[in-house]
Amino acid sequence: MSDDSVPLALPLPGWLAGSSEVTALYRELRKPLLRYLVCLGLSRDEAQDVVQDAFLSLQRHLASAGAEDNIRGWLFRVAHNLARNRQVSYHRRFAEPLDARLEALAEQATPEQAVLEKEKYRRLVSAVRKLSESERECLLLRAGGLRYREIAEVLGMATSTVADTVERAVRKLAEMCNV
Amino acid sequence: MCDLQAKLVAWLDGELPVDEAAAVETHVRECRTCRSQMTAYEKVSRDFDRYCEAVFEAGTERRTLPWIPVLATAAAAVIISFVIYYRTRVAPPAPAVPPVVRAQPAPIPMPISVAGPAPGKATRHKPTPPTHKTSGPPWEPWETSVEIAIPAESIFAPGAMPEGMRLIGELRIGPDGSVHQVRFRQ
Repeated sequence: MSDDSVPLALPLPGWLAGSSEVTALYRELRKPLLRYLVCLGLSRDEAQDVVQDAFLSLQRHLASAGAEDNIRGWLFRVAHNLARNRQVSYHRRFAEPLDARLEALAEQATPEQAVLEKEKYRRLVSAVRKLSESERECLLLRAGGLRYREIAEVLGMATSTVADTVERAVRKLAEMCNV
Repeated sequence: MCDLQAKLVAWLDGELPVDEAAAVETHVRECRTCRSQMTAYEKVSRDFDRYCEAVFEAGTERRTLPWIPVLATAAAAVIISFVIYYRTRVAPPAPAVPPVVRAQPAPIPMPISVAGPAPGKATRHKPTPPTHKTSGPPWEPWETSVEIAIPAESIFAPGAMPEGMRLIGELRIGPDGSVHQVRFRQ
């Protein structure tokens, strides 16, 4: 999916207009951030709010601190913490009925293939639900394109712990899904 | 289990230092088990990514409450029924026997003041054509017609028509209630 076709067509906030660096970051990272937040369980509107707040914080941070080594990791960490503050909806997404999503995922040529695809994703979702919170978060951040070092920064872990957690989570999924 | 199997995911993610990555790569080439594991890890990672995308897409769709389409359909059905009923009531479908409509003389605002018979005296329906001669085409009866007796003097200028003459006006009315055709006869 191209960046322009992101369903969450966020208008560029006015306060970003003056900073070309932050504007470029906003265009690059809004979708990965939104995807991570929605997968964490936030609603569309909640995710939009969190992304806006995260970039507002970045703007203030850059104005006061001047620079940031790893802005992507910083943004994910802020967004992650903001999402944490909305604990009511935090674990909702993976607990929802899956049929609509599975229908979209199982758009195969034949009904037999569609059935197999649906079954595959049912097993996957069931396996994801059995993961620990940190395993799930590591996988979500990894799927968002973050390096282990960035994941470690977001979740406040050691990089080696992230490597172990990701390895364990992927192995569990493969075993439970009989891949 | 191979010692390097625990590093397969990190190797796939490009997270290993160069020397370790080279060692894992060499091992995977030779170890069928690790190669199989690596394929499985790749596949499940891809599936997880696809699933996250689906969760994201589903989460970004505006949700429509399930009863809204039902209500909308019901409302549309009521409106359509009402329109059909209203139209049918205004212009009923052609019956087997044309109805006789008794109407008062049409209040045509024409400045004609020729004495004649009382308006509205003879309102009648004649499904059969008249027997007297006319200069126009043969008088074919319409399937559905409404006859209204109108004094000739209310339509024509004084002296244009013989005194006491009455005209029978027939109106052909379409299904939508509008008048499609009007004709007059004696």
